[in-house]
Amino acid sequence: MSTFDIPIGPMHPALPEPLLLKLELEGETVVGVDFDVSYMHRGIEKLLEAKTYFQGLPLVERICGICNAAHGLCYTLNVEKLYDKEIPPRAQYLRLVVEELSRIHSHLLWLGIAAFEIGFNTMFMYTWRDREAVMDMLEAITGNRVTTEYSQIGGVRRDIPPNLADKLLKTMDIVEERTKYYVKVALSERTIAKRTQGVGYLSPEDAKATCAVGPVLRASGVKNDIRADDPYAAHADVPFNVITYDTCDVFARIVVRAQELFECVNMIRTAMKNLPQGPFRVKLPMKPNAGEALTRVEAPRGELFHYTLSEGALKPYRYKVRTPTLANLGALRSMLTSKGRYVVNIGDVPISYGSIDPCICCTARVHLFDLKKGKSWVWTLDELRERSKRGKLLP
Amino acid sequence: MNVEEDVLRELKEAFGGLILEHKTQKMRVYIRVPRDSYREVVKYLVITKGIYHLETITGMEVKDGIEIIAHLGTGLSISVRTTIGKENPKISSICDLIPGAEFYEREIHDLLGVVFESHPGLRRLVLADDWPEGVYPLRKSFESKHNAPLREGFD
Repeated sequence: MSTFDIPIGPMHPALPEPLLLKLELEGETVVGVDFDVSYMHRGIEKLLEAKTYFQGLPLVERICGICNAAHGLCYTLNVEKLYDKEIPPRAQYLRLVVEELSRIHSHLLWLGIAAFEIGFNTMFMYTWRDREAVMDMLEAITGNRVTTEYSQIGGVRRDIPPNLADKLLKTMDIVEERTKYYVKVALSERTIAKRTQGVGYLSPEDAKATCAVGPVLRASGVKNDIRADDPYAAHADVPFNVITYDTCDVFARIVVRAQELFECVNMIRTAMKNLPQGPFRVKLPMKPNAGEALTRVEAPRGELFHYTLSEGALKPYRYKVRTPTLANLGALRSMLTSKGRYVVNIGDVPISYGSIDPCICCTARVHLFDLKKGKSWVWTLDELRERSKRGKLLP
Repeated sequence: MNVEEDVLRELKEAFGGLILEHKTQKMRVYIRVPRDSYREVVKYLVITKGIYHLETITGMEVKDGIEIIAHLGTGLSISVRTTIGKENPKISSICDLIPGAEFYEREIHDLLGVVFESHPGLRRLVLADDWPEGVYPLRKSFESKHNAPLREGFD
């Protein structure tokens, strides 16, 4: 049978990210796939080489809007390794609380998107409503709903006062109760089972070979979580279970993410109960020591990797970021390329693609254009500063 | 004896003088090997030691060439680094050992111009299709003020 190609994206109603999927079809069956992820390259690694360590943090936080807490945490932990200074334990606990809160909001957001992709819009509305409670808590703790910038080099930006701690624990009760309901729905609702079981199959061998990370890897039955394997922040003192599931399909990814919500809730409760007293930030000098540092953080989408080489100057010599979605692209190709082992219907592509919780903007990090005028240029920092002073960012 | 020292000792036993430099931190092992042994060391870690996970491959321009660092491991992270010449940089690909290396090698090929020999499909990954040939944005000589080329639709 002859094959034909269908391009999907980079802007398509079924795909919420700027990705071009070039599908090779035999009838309605997908037999080959290629990607183009180059639509959002922003040059952040290059930009970081031109910024001091303290200026770099706001930029790193903007690599990904949803995982910003994980990016900020990974950056600060990484830079702190270049100093020989103890970070207060209270800061490490507070970091964990905000990290897990942001994981809850990300997983709830993903559950909604996944439900939306399979046409289950009621669940989409429900999860996003409950996510609002978590967003309110993030705003109350950090001062911002989305870009939290909570973790700073040397500690955290502000403390959690006692009245807010009570409110946080009450919110956790709500999240736990609602998650119980979602797990019940996911496990018993036939619509979900029919649309997700056996779809987007990724065998444990393929998951390991393609170096998949995070919930995608754990849903293929591989027990792997940086929080357990190489604990950072306060994770060594706050126990949790690594959730795995063995059906290796989209259904498994739903179950893993939903079950992880319970672990997040329990970790926040334990951390708030054992919150150490003391300062929440130490002042660190502008210049770190020379050396190199490598940090991994379990972001909501999987293992996030930051590496820096310092020459003891104000700015890093090289800053490397590897985001979870880039690591999961190989796994996605494996899910979509059946090679005769199982059937991938074209209708299953959006949910399979959605099941890696993709974030293309954070995959391609590198530039800036004006398409209307048909030209492109780069503003210097001084120009940008001048424009922001005038209160007029657009020409 | 802690776990990092153990791994380093095993690597030294297997490769001896080929380990040019080494350094350990908590849960981190960094080693430097000659360019021609890079693939052999990765092969040893993957096949003999059974490490399946490649975190990423970092590429950077240093004084005397381009440095490639493969970061392997799940808990303990082992970084294997090697330096290759700036002119016509070439190194053998590790995609056949770890299929997950494909995208990381393509990214380095885009941004630094390193050619990975016997890579299954060394094409553009992150840069736009109409980005000029031979301009590598992560090289230190690349000015970030350089006007980015404009992409016109896609075909």
